[in-house]
Amino acid sequence: MPLGTLERDAPSLFRQGPSALSRLVFFCALALFLMVADARFGLTQPLRAAVSAVLQPLQWLALQPVQAVRQAADYVESRNTAQQVEAAAKRLLVQQSLKANQVDQLMLENQRLRDLLALRQRVDTPARAAEVLYDAPDPYTRRVVIDQGLTQGIEPGSPVLDESGVLGQVTRVHPFLSEVTLLVDRDQAIPVLNTRTGVRSVAYGDPTGPAGGGLELRFTPTSADVQEGDLLTTSGVDGVYPPGLPVAKVDRVERRVDSAFARIHGAPLAQTQGARHVLVLKPGAAELPQRPASHLPATAASGAAGKKGARK
Amino acid sequence: MIMPRGQQLLLPVNPVFIWSSLLVAMVLNMVPLGRLAWTPDLLMLLLVFWSVHQPSKVGMGAAFVFGLCMDVHQAALLGQHALAYTALTYVAITFHRRLQWLTLPAQAVQVLPWFFAAHVIELVLRLLAGGIFPGWSFLLAPLLEALLWPVASFVLLAPQRRAPDRDENRPL
Repeated sequence: MPLGTLERDAPSLFRQGPSALSRLVFFCALALFLMVADARFGLTQPLRAAVSAVLQPLQWLALQPVQAVRQAADYVESRNTAQQVEAAAKRLLVQQSLKANQVDQLMLENQRLRDLLALRQRVDTPARAAEVLYDAPDPYTRRVVIDQGLTQGIEPGSPVLDESGVLGQVTRVHPFLSEVTLLVDRDQAIPVLNTRTGVRSVAYGDPTGPAGGGLELRFTPTSADVQEGDLLTTSGVDGVYPPGLPVAKVDRVERRVDSAFARIHGAPLAQTQGARHVLVLKPGAAELPQRPASHLPATAASGAAGKKGARK
Repeated sequence: MIMPRGQQLLLPVNPVFIWSSLLVAMVLNMVPLGRLAWTPDLLMLLLVFWSVHQPSKVGMGAAFVFGLCMDVHQAALLGQHALAYTALTYVAITFHRRLQWLTLPAQAVQVLPWFFAAHVIELVLRLLAGGIFPGWSFLLAPLLEALLWPVASFVLLAPQRRAPDRDENRPL
């Protein structure tokens, strides 16, 4: 047997490098530092963007089998289903064409009324179509990844809609991809308006609910006028989401004796599972009016000084 | 070096094979199957496998870099997989001589708690960072990885089990 065919070779006696334990400590410290920088300070975006750009070809490769299956499923979809979908679409088109024909007239009327009342004009929001590539595999959050990123001009914070309502918000932008946090994620909140009563509130994500989670209106008094079936739309007070977009329908109202607040649960109208084509709006297009330059701070400061003085 | 009785002498490993197998495992990990907590982490399995069999070639640095790649791909907390993979590789390097004395099923039983610990590290980190509890199905992931261990050993050591010099009349 020739030399060099055996797997076992003697390790070098002197060139061992740092010990395994010291390497472990070094890398664990580095990982902990990265986690803190990522979660608390948000410093790691350049590193993420760089790694994401490097991984792009591999991600594309991994996506191919799934997209092939999707396309094959679309292709072999039966004629029956296609005809049903077409009929439904035609019915919807007829219903919508009536509204669409009136829209021009209504817009003109609306503009005149707003001029009359000296209100600010509504702003048209520029939008961009995008496709959902996949659900982010991280099971600890609710995110999806869309196929447009920094190179297409996506900005962090952009609202994302599908055909039936608000889906979520762009939270991280990579060079070729963006991550969209869904409304049902625990960290997500959206200001809403109850269209029946005109009451504004904030809906928080509640990922534990059935069918992929829902939204929750927190801190609503038990006596508040909220019924099952109420439509919640964006109120536009945050200046991120344009007003009037449908968000959710109230599907459960629990009033308890032992609590001053009602538990109000809403089901999102957008498809939080399996959305494919989405619209990315420009954030902050509904610009808030300038804050009036107030002289309050001066008086407040003097008041505080006075209090301090009084305490002394 | 003392070897277990009856163990076959292996050919030297090809480094290209190690790194390409790790890359393939990473791509397989990246196939988007949805948000499932129980999918086995193939990259984790292969990192443990190579650090048991080739601790001088695959170490904690590689585990850390691969972990960062998985973090960015999964949109997870940056450093979560890196920490779990590094700790797992450390355990594998520490116990690699002991593990090679066992039969394949016994090895699978031996590595099960390692994988379990790695997944628990990830879970605890994410719950501390304010994540959503993914459901108890995440316990299936280490089990599936341990079940894949004998398969991985059989497939990945196959290139090293070939005959050193080919002989038409004595095929091995």
